[in-house]
Amino acid sequence: MTAIESTFKKRAQAAVANKTLKAAIERTASTAEKKRAIAIAELPDFSNMRSCAKRIKDHVIANLDHYLETFERNAVASGAKVHWARTAEEASHIAVDICKMAKAKRVTRSKSMLGEEIGLPHALELAGIECVETDLAEHIVQLAGERPSHIVWPAMHKSREEIFSLFKSKHEKPPVSEEIADLVLSARRDLRQKFLTADVGISGANFLIADTGAVCVVTNEGNAELTTTPPKVHIVTAGIEKLVPSIEHAFVLLRLLVRSATGADITQYTTFHCGPKRPNDADGPEEFHIILVDNGRTQMLADGMEEMLRCIRCGACMNHCVVYRQVGGHAYGGTYPGPMGAVLTPVFDGLKQSRDLPHACTLNGRCAEVCPVGIPLPTLLRQLRSRSWRSGYEPWLTKANVSVWAQFAKRPKLYHAVSKIASKVIRLFQKNGRIRWMPLAGNWTRHRDLPAPASRSFMQLQRSRHKENGS
Amino acid sequence: MMPDQKPEQFSKAKNSPSSPRIGLFVTCLVDLFRPNVGFAAIKLLEDAGCEVFIPKSQTCCGQPALNSGDVENTKTIARQVIEHFESYDYVIVPSGSCGGTIRTHYPEILADDPEWTERAAVFSSKVFELISFLTDIRGISTVQARCEATATYHDSCSGLRELGIKQQPRRLLFSVEGLTLREMDKAENCCGFGGTFSIKYPDISNAIVSEKTEAIKESGADLLLGGDLGCLMNIAGKQSRQGQKVRAMHVAEILANMSDGLAIGEED
Amino acid sequence: MSLARKQIMGNISVALAHREKADEHSIDQEAVKLLTSFEPELPGLSIADVVEAFYTRTSGPKVGASITRISSMEELIDTVAGVLSEKGLVNKIALQPDRALVDLDWGQSGFQLGKEVDDGVVVGIARWGIAETGSLVFHSASDMPVLFNFLPSFHIVAVRASTIVPYLESYANAANIAGDPTPRNVCLVTGASGTTDIEGVLVTGAHGPRELHIILIDDTNQIVGTYDEN
Repeated sequence: MTAIESTFKKRAQAAVANKTLKAAIERTASTAEKKRAIAIAELPDFSNMRSCAKRIKDHVIANLDHYLETFERNAVASGAKVHWARTAEEASHIAVDICKMAKAKRVTRSKSMLGEEIGLPHALELAGIECVETDLAEHIVQLAGERPSHIVWPAMHKSREEIFSLFKSKHEKPPVSEEIADLVLSARRDLRQKFLTADVGISGANFLIADTGAVCVVTNEGNAELTTTPPKVHIVTAGIEKLVPSIEHAFVLLRLLVRSATGADITQYTTFHCGPKRPNDADGPEEFHIILVDNGRTQMLADGMEEMLRCIRCGACMNHCVVYRQVGGHAYGGTYPGPMGAVLTPVFDGLKQSRDLPHACTLNGRCAEVCPVGIPLPTLLRQLRSRSWRSGYEPWLTKANVSVWAQFAKRPKLYHAVSKIASKVIRLFQKNGRIRWMPLAGNWTRHRDLPAPASRSFMQLQRSRHKENGS
Repeated sequence: MMPDQKPEQFSKAKNSPSSPRIGLFVTCLVDLFRPNVGFAAIKLLEDAGCEVFIPKSQTCCGQPALNSGDVENTKTIARQVIEHFESYDYVIVPSGSCGGTIRTHYPEILADDPEWTERAAVFSSKVFELISFLTDIRGISTVQARCEATATYHDSCSGLRELGIKQQPRRLLFSVEGLTLREMDKAENCCGFGGTFSIKYPDISNAIVSEKTEAIKESGADLLLGGDLGCLMNIAGKQSRQGQKVRAMHVAEILANMSDGLAIGEED
Repeated sequence: MSLARKQIMGNISVALAHREKADEHSIDQEAVKLLTSFEPELPGLSIADVVEAFYTRTSGPKVGASITRISSMEELIDTVAGVLSEKGLVNKIALQPDRALVDLDWGQSGFQLGKEVDDGVVVGIARWGIAETGSLVFHSASDMPVLFNFLPSFHIVAVRASTIVPYLESYANAANIAGDPTPRNVCLVTGASGTTDIEGVLVTGAHGPRELHIILIDDTNQIVGTYDEN
């Protein structure tokens, strides 16, 4: 029943004990936090901009069928081929089929979390097609045989020393030093030829523009365009929630996306792709495929979790999450880590398997505070907790504890009588006002003392004072 | 055992007939661990011209059930709290997280219960956290209190983000004679308590609270203040385990000039 | 219609069954209203004058480019030569096949024009400039290969002051008014290629150009796709 729980707990415990990991997470996340704060402060009115962004997303979600149809019609008119996938398997199957049709031997991929979500790299590998990750961080993670630990900085957990030794063993012309510029250069050398010799380029989408059928992709490295322009075939994999009515709507969201993610005002490269190469175009792919992926999204819409469909994948929630900052992305075990991952993973992998994630949160609300599209993440996490409770996924001991406690809380007389006795018992373990260890409180006292209960409760004291006062 | 369930009125000298009638929800942690906070709350409210009542039938706001996902039990507890407190002009809670639960989450969880939706909404509008009630509703800007200390204030998450409590306690602390306020780094960062979270994930919680105690140490303060006993017990418990000498108290105790007693985790 | 499409659309209409389904026209109207009636205050431009704001922005720390101002297209060749010599580079360039550039007499000034863009120097011309972000906008076409923005090591881009617009949205509007055909590929270039993927440290030249130099042509006396806010 608690197989995943124990693995999450174990992973989290191991992560907490790993000081190198902690330092690596802190380095990038704290920089991101600081830069975001400056960028948001420079905006004339963040909350107004956020409410505008939120309304745009809500409008699209409320009219999702309309926008999907509009987008499809316009994309097809531009020469794109639009595919629909209900599940992760179906989506990666379609992508692999397109690659096979193109007789692809080598495929380049620019970072897309949806690609990870649908297991595309793995599916390509199974099909015997070489898949080259072109985002620098994804390249690092791929060479290391790992999974991304952050949705914006997938290799956040890696130090330059680790990357140096990795590149030394994997690059044909390895870097000469641990200097970061040298490591970047080494990857540039290694990937340049692969860009130019790939048969298919696969990208994700940051926005799908309904009124033109265009696909917007943003990067700082420029790897997306190098991935999608030279090959004969460009495949876009996109979640159906990525739609926006027009390019103007995309700009509103883009301003918030970039500021929330990296603290910059705009990405270095913001590209809108609309269909395949046209007769007079100097370059571009001959085929342009868009795979629209559901994979649980319509279920979220039906289950009252539609607010999560606003998510624009900026990563601010994890950068500001005290739990993520301690355990890092891998502990979460899914494609998406942090608060947004704790909501999404139960949708994708099943709540029964991942019931622990919604509990791995102090409900401090910081994530919702920084979310650029106002997703009430703590509310959604509470919702998942109650769904798990109703479905009987919670461990029996937790249920027993809460139920017994609730029986007292619902009966004031009994509650006060029992708590009076409990206080007395607990006080037996105190020394100098503190309890260093006590049966059943090990999870508290393992790391900290428990202040002893008062010898008389407030209720007792106030009754006697009340009598003294004679009122 | 409670001989009768008539609420006890605490006010000695009656304030004027126009004084608002306050139902004080002391919270389960204050009741058991820190009664002084309850008395401090009574004093502050009376000084602010209120008449204070303490319904005996109060237990807990239901957070442990709510945060565990047990909505049914939370609803029962919520209805019970509403029944026992709705006759007062205001319901005051010396805790941001309990205040947040009652004010923000009761209406949410009772939203699908037609009999209670309206009642919960009306009720929740009367619920306030103690310090913000004093400043925002009663217009209090100074207190008569003295405390020789260098204090640092931890912003508890629910109070800060659900109820917008940030400047209110600082403003009042400013008027405390002898008290210097020194901000710690990242005062708004969660302390890792999270109610049942601290028991479910002790190691993660410990890593988080360790950063908090470090920040407090760095601030050079000798007194930690906050508006939520849960967080304070967590932080003070860690400080005590680390052998740190920083004392911890609820902000109400300082403001009510009741800071000469023992701090949290000191022997009584 | 594929079975998958039918099911996805079916799931959506079941999930959204509670809503009053609006007709296309009113959905479109509502979408426009989202932009107009809730229009958020845009990030302030540093200077009221759009061209000055673009200049300040692109020469500032946020864009990570260098910029030169010239008063006419005729000065372009000498300017490029100057930029290259300052970098210690020879006058070997690949030209974006735009008439405005190709028609200039590069050979006369000792330039060697090549086809090699991979890791070389490319001189291009942007269709639009955006002051808010300091972005250069390129529309793919026969005279604008997309890869010219990504393959070179050093990217030199001319942009006419008359094509500079204040905001991202103004670009979309201006392109409409100017009657630009919807290109296959629109690319907003803002600075050189960069990455912070290793230890959060910014390094330029990740995959694309290591450096970007902008040449701003103050042509506002001439009429070339002039943008009018109204």
